[in-house]
Amino acid sequence: MSLPGLELTQPSAEREFVAAPPSQINLSPGSEWRFEVAHGTTVRVKLQTGTAELFGTELAPSQTYTFSGTKAAIYTWHGCTLEVSAGDAVTGLDGMPASPAHGGFGAGGCQSEYTAEETPMVEYANIHFALEMLRNEAKATGKDGPRVLILGPEDAGKTSLSKVLTAYAVKVGRQPIVVNLDPTEGMLSVPGTLTATTFRAMLDVEEGWGSSPMSGPSAVPVKLPLVYFYPMTNPLEAEGSVYRPIVSRLALSVMGRMAEDEDARETGIIVDTPGILSQSRAGASEMINHIVTEFSITTILVIGSERLYSLMMKSHDNKPSSSASAAASDERITVVKLSKSGGCVDRDATFMKAVRESQIRTYFFGNPVPSTGSSALSLAASTNVTLSPHAQQLDFNTLNLYNYTTQSAEDEQEEDDYDPAQLTTGDSFLPGGDNDTEWSTQRQSENASSLLLGISSTANKSNPVTAAGNLLVPMKKVPAPAPSALANTLLAITHCAPTSNLAEIRDASTMGFLYVADVDNERGKIRVLAPVGGRVPSRAIIWGKKWPAEVVGLVG
Amino acid sequence: MSSGLASDEVAEDYKNSLEDLTTNDRFQISNLTVIAKENTEHAMAISRVLENHIRITPPAQKLPALYVVDSIVKNVGTPYTLFLGRNMYQTFMNAYTLVDSQTRRKLDEMLKTWKEPVPGSLDTRPVFPPDVTRSIENALIKARTAALQQQQARGQPDVYSRGRVGTPPGWSNTPTPPQNASRYPPTANQPLPNRTGSVNGYPSAGEQIPVRSTPTPQLQHDVDLSTLNQDVEVLIAAARNEFANNPLDPSVQQRLKALLDLQGIMQRQQLTQEQLKLVRDQVSALAPKPAILAPQPASSHTPVTSTPSLATPLVAQSFSQPLQQFLNPGTLAELIKATAARQQPTPPPQIPPVLPQMPLTSSTPQVPSSAPENPLIAALRAKGLLPAASTPPAGAANMASPFPFIVPGQVRYTPPVPTPQTASIGEVQVNVQMNTASIKIPRNMLIASLYDARPNRCGTCGRRFHATEEGKEKKARHLDWHFRTNQRMADAARRAQNRSWYVDERDWIKSREVGDDQVTTETETTNDSAGADGGSSKKGPAKQWIRAPNDATLRNTPCPICQEKFESTWSEDVQDWIWQDAVKVGARVYHASCYAEVTKDGSSQPRRETPSGRTGTPDSVLGKRKAEGSDSPSQNVRIKTEPA
Repeated sequence: MSLPGLELTQPSAEREFVAAPPSQINLSPGSEWRFEVAHGTTVRVKLQTGTAELFGTELAPSQTYTFSGTKAAIYTWHGCTLEVSAGDAVTGLDGMPASPAHGGFGAGGCQSEYTAEETPMVEYANIHFALEMLRNEAKATGKDGPRVLILGPEDAGKTSLSKVLTAYAVKVGRQPIVVNLDPTEGMLSVPGTLTATTFRAMLDVEEGWGSSPMSGPSAVPVKLPLVYFYPMTNPLEAEGSVYRPIVSRLALSVMGRMAEDEDARETGIIVDTPGILSQSRAGASEMINHIVTEFSITTILVIGSERLYSLMMKSHDNKPSSSASAAASDERITVVKLSKSGGCVDRDATFMKAVRESQIRTYFFGNPVPSTGSSALSLAASTNVTLSPHAQQLDFNTLNLYNYTTQSAEDEQEEDDYDPAQLTTGDSFLPGGDNDTEWSTQRQSENASSLLLGISSTANKSNPVTAAGNLLVPMKKVPAPAPSALANTLLAITHCAPTSNLAEIRDASTMGFLYVADVDNERGKIRVLAPVGGRVPSRAIIWGKKWPAEVVGLVG
Repeated sequence: MSSGLASDEVAEDYKNSLEDLTTNDRFQISNLTVIAKENTEHAMAISRVLENHIRITPPAQKLPALYVVDSIVKNVGTPYTLFLGRNMYQTFMNAYTLVDSQTRRKLDEMLKTWKEPVPGSLDTRPVFPPDVTRSIENALIKARTAALQQQQARGQPDVYSRGRVGTPPGWSNTPTPPQNASRYPPTANQPLPNRTGSVNGYPSAGEQIPVRSTPTPQLQHDVDLSTLNQDVEVLIAAARNEFANNPLDPSVQQRLKALLDLQGIMQRQQLTQEQLKLVRDQVSALAPKPAILAPQPASSHTPVTSTPSLATPLVAQSFSQPLQQFLNPGTLAELIKATAARQQPTPPPQIPPVLPQMPLTSSTPQVPSSAPENPLIAALRAKGLLPAASTPPAGAANMASPFPFIVPGQVRYTPPVPTPQTASIGEVQVNVQMNTASIKIPRNMLIASLYDARPNRCGTCGRRFHATEEGKEKKARHLDWHFRTNQRMADAARRAQNRSWYVDERDWIKSREVGDDQVTTETETTNDSAGADGGSSKKGPAKQWIRAPNDATLRNTPCPICQEKFESTWSEDVQDWIWQDAVKVGARVYHASCYAEVTKDGSSQPRRETPSGRTGTPDSVLGKRKAEGSDSPSQNVRIKTEPA
């Protein structure tokens, strides 16, 4: 076992069980501790002295926070001492214990951790104060609060910035509406969704944004998201013909809320975007323009991209915003460039996949990581909320299942897409170890069905849909028999009647998700996991065929 | 609080929660009980927190805290009875000496219930072991006797005799309650508290005193204020001299400070005769032997835990408290303690160490008391518990402020008043231009608006609140929310929970975020409505129940929906077997949750009456068992399951 290099590939079993002794981390004022925790392992962090915040949300003193599957940073304005220790491995995540390859060697078993002196937090905080100024003004004059758009390439810290801004706003008693337009990562929901949420209660330190409502109580107040399903990774799919109307619809709802909710109106909106929009792709800047217009954006924050910044300066800076009152009040758009944090790390496909899986799993089953900090008052041994989804059989014929018929993304082989090659190396994703054969048959059947679907979509093109509202919507009803590719995918139940036209279905907000556990072609039935018991509401259902990619082994 | 890490956390949380208990709020008390119940593994830490809290909390808040103890020992029982019983004598007597006569009556009533079994319990043993209650009772009787005797000696009317209305009946005729009489006969030699400051014995025969009335030992004696002032001045002068000779001795410093404080109090406050008497006794006790007192290291004999108690004179209304603390050794509790310890065959373990100090320490306890006072007050003020000025301690502190020496590590004499600062921070004009250059300028002043402007931090989630009355209220509601949530989470853990459906656009636009610092009912509504339709009948404290039918066939009929049989549980409140989560529809009985799920009707809406008696005190004294407050009669009480 002492051969060089051997330990890295085959760590001894003992390593996992030897808990690293708690280590103390002293942070000087204005520095931050960056850490990465693999999925399946947990790290406990406790603030011993001073003040500290994770993406703007302050840590309570002497509470133990448990982190898993995250790359984050704890910043301190005043200096602090953190105690970091290794937590228990999370066995629930994939039905198997933490993969040894992820076993970290940093403090408390972090995959990687270090202290950084240089952070853009001063800039971020100043953005908050500048926004506060605008909010005070909005309160005084009755105008709308600032609408902020955050742009930047992938892994530039956009979501982290929106968290910081949200957390600060909440901290001073504001109530921002946070809009997530990035379908690759869900906010308070599964990936493949665009959401808007009003934040009043503080963000969950351990769980990122927090949790959407459950039937039971939650230690951190739940947030109520408005969810739209966009089952693709790329907003520009089909020339944005799906993304664009959903964004418009989402913006409409947000504006409706702003009009009625005084607190939200004063505080304004924070819009987080997918990094792909900040790449120089055809249609990307048009899509940005669309977002800017729909949300009447007043402030554009560009992180880590000079090119995009200059582009935005040219196209938007000092232009009147699109809000109705802009002309009267001379409201103009400001474009600000922000530094990218040195702590931003690329999150590889494997990591993102694990994040997605964990989001989907959390939607159905609750957070698998025992949350000690957020519920310390009761201090029961495990206070993590475990949810019990309901498994049931559905007759496929009774479902009104629709599927988007855009096909381009899969051909392009996005790095985020389902890639069988990764499965041979990515050890965290194997379902259970004992069902390799089942796995390969699934893949075969999926390939077969996608072939079938390709045929059906071409057939669709040759027979143009008659209804006018359906004309431009690349969506069609999935006919019986149930395609076996349904297995392991998500279905989104919309709030929309099953007989609505396709445009309505596309624009409808989402009620919830079903997970298809398996498909029984012979009997025409599918077995699904529903978050809520009882009959599955009779609504139009959209199939998340391509996104969020398959999650295998959600149901044992 | 040197126990395990987790215990520390529990204790800290519990402490914070206790600090928010300022009134006799049944809801809060039951919450605290539930927490204690769920954390029996930390019973020791919690008990210690409780004891400390009772010791340091202002008199007006001692009763609610003692009610928490009461509720815990009755609803949870062991191990709390063990841990709390150990120091109950001190805890109880300390509190008893500092509260007004009305509260004393309540304490008497409570003590009485401790001698009896828990109401409704099958256990016939009293709440606390007899030796715990007996020592307290004896001490109380002695105190009353002593006071009475002194009054009689002076031929003064018994002004406090109305106080006996609430005393336990057994006391009016016999010196000790009946059940204790055999084991603890009235001793022939009961030394009585002596008001001259040191315990030099009070040779009187207790049994000769007719125990017909139960006056509170307050002394009626004319005290000449000017003489007293002179005496104090003489003492101060002596202390100054001593200080000049020995400027580095902290005990001398502290003594001087204490005297200055005393002088300040006397000058600023209208003292009653009793208080003046106490002061005079104290002063006269001090006068002859300052030399003995000075070199005593303050910490060597004063339990660390007790120092805060001496340092929390909080409420202006109870002015007598700082004074009594100031003169702590002369007060009733210590004296009684001494006397009781002397004759108790099995004294509580903590007493012997206290006893030897008694003759010596007539002033020493005040030494530590004055030292940590200011930081503590500052902390309290920062938490919004204290108004900025006008309380006696503040006066004392200001008065002493010319005093130039500061004991290392202590921030005395400069009462930090965060409130005005806070206001100014809040007022700081935010003026940050939204442009790339401007946002690179560090602005520490503004960072303060995120942190220092809201110094009142929730220990659980780190949320910050303003140090204002409003902030304090919000925090209280916020903590309430934590309690409710935790309670509900504990309840919910036993049931299946699930993700709710997302709301649609219209509902989302109409919805309003309600913070956890809002008024209770609103919060509950939000949380419940957030729970959507599916599981609403399964959660929350509300449960439907029916009496278990007597008919054997009906009893064995399962729920038509889930085909599971009903489980009978015995309800103490109903005094009958009941079926939880059951509802009778027509002739059939369903699980309420099953029925609600199937019918999805409105009838199964959880009945959300929060316990109405939020301020109702009297019945909670005896009826602790009901304190859990829920619709279901047997929830949270001991349930035994009927063998099927």
